[in-house]
Amino acid sequence: MILAAAFVVLSFLALVLILHFAKGHHVKGGDLDQLASQLRSVDVAAFRNLIDEGEEQYLRDHLPQGEFRSIQRERKLAAIEYIRCAANNAAILLRLAEAARENPDPAVTQAADKLFDNALRLRLYSFRVVPRLYAGVLLPGLSLVPTGFADSYDTLSRQVVMLGLQYPTRGISSAL
Amino acid sequence: MSFLRYYLWVAPHVVLGFVLLTSLQKRLHKELPVFCVFTVFEILRFVLLFAVSRLVTDSSIGVYLWFLTSTAAIDAALQLAVVYELTQKLIFSRTSLGGTLRPVFMWTVAGLVLLAAATSGSLRDISREKIGNGFEILDFSSGLVEVGILVALFLFSRVLRISWRSRATGVALGFGVSACIDLAAAALRSGLGRSVFIAVDITQMASFHVSVVIWLIYLLLPDRAPVFVGHGFEKSDIQFWDQELQRMTER
Repeated sequence: MILAAAFVVLSFLALVLILHFAKGHHVKGGDLDQLASQLRSVDVAAFRNLIDEGEEQYLRDHLPQGEFRSIQRERKLAAIEYIRCAANNAAILLRLAEAARENPDPAVTQAADKLFDNALRLRLYSFRVVPRLYAGVLLPGLSLVPTGFADSYDTLSRQVVMLGLQYPTRGISSAL
Repeated sequence: MSFLRYYLWVAPHVVLGFVLLTSLQKRLHKELPVFCVFTVFEILRFVLLFAVSRLVTDSSIGVYLWFLTSTAAIDAALQLAVVYELTQKLIFSRTSLGGTLRPVFMWTVAGLVLLAAATSGSLRDISREKIGNGFEILDFSSGLVEVGILVALFLFSRVLRISWRSRATGVALGFGVSACIDLAAAALRSGLGRSVFIAVDITQMASFHVSVVIWLIYLLLPDRAPVFVGHGFEKSDIQFWDQELQRMTER
C-alpha cells in the first residue's frame, strides 16, 4: 500500500514537472540584440590563473596552511562563478546557433552547427566541473583542477567570431 | 455511468483517427514514423477489443483479457519506441555529441527498467486470472519506464537549453499526460483493489482522451520553429568581427 501511494505521488509530481517543462520548451526565439545584452564577460586568462596547478602549488608553498585553505576556497568559488557565466553564455549561444542554422548559406549553417555542438559541450562540461570545484571548496587541500574548460571556452569564443563574420551576432564575442 | 464509459472508450479513438489523418496530411509520418504506426495500431487495437467485448460472455472473459494483455504488450513497446524516436529526433540528431549523450540516456533507461523490475514484483495481485496480473505488471512497468524517460528528456533539454518545435512538444506532452496517469492508475489498482477499478479505468480513459486532444491541437497549430529578430548584417559588423577575430586569435 505504501509503495502504491508513493508511486501515485511520484506520478503526479512527474506530471507537474512535464507540464512545467513543456510550457518552458514551447518554441523559444528572441531578439538577437537583446540576447547579446544578456551575455556576461568572462576573462579566460583570469579563469586559467584560478585553476592553474602551478599557481596553486606556489600558494601552498608560500602561505601558512590556514591562509592557503581560505584563499583556495575563495579561488574555487570565483572559478565556479566564472563557469556559471560561461555556461549562461553558452545557453545564449545555443539560441544564436539555432537562429543561424536557419540561414540559407551553407557556410553559416556549418559554422552554426559547430557553435551549437561546442556550446552544448561547454554546458555539459560545466555540469561535471562545478561539483568538483564545490568539492574543492569543502576540501581545499585537494587538487581538483578542471582542465580543458578554459580551452573549450576559448574554442567557443573563436567560433562565435567565425560565425559573426558570416552572420549578424553583433556584440556577442565582445562579451565573451 | 455506462454512457460515460462508452464515450471515453470510443471518442478518443475517433479523435485519434483525426490525429492520424492530420499527421498524414502534414507529413508527420516522415518526421515521426513510429508515432504514426502507434496511432494506426491503437485504432486497430480498439476495433479488435471492441469487437471481442461484444462477443465474449462472463464465462469467456479470459479471452478478452488475453487479447487485452497481448495487445497491451505491443502497445507498450510502441509507446517506448515513440519516446525513443522523440529523444533521437530532439536531442541526438541535432548534435554531433550524440555519442556523448546517448550513454546518459541508456543508463537512465537501464535504471528505470531495474526499478520497474524491482517494484512490480511487490505489486499486489489484482485478479484471480494470471493474465490479469500479467497485464497489471506490464501496465505498471511500461508506465514507469515511459514516465522516467519523458521526465529525463524534458529535464535534459531544459538543462542544456535545447528548444523544440511545437509538434514534437505536443507529442511528448500527450504521452507524458497519459503515461503519468497510467502509472498512478496501475499503482492505485494494486493498492486499493477492486473497489476502485471503475473509477481508475474512467480516469485512465479520460487521460488518454486529453492526450489525443493535445496531439490534435498541436497538429492543427502551425509547426513553429524559434523565430529570431535582430539587425541584418552590415559592413560595419564585418569590420567589427574582423577586429574581434584578430584580437581573439592573438590570445
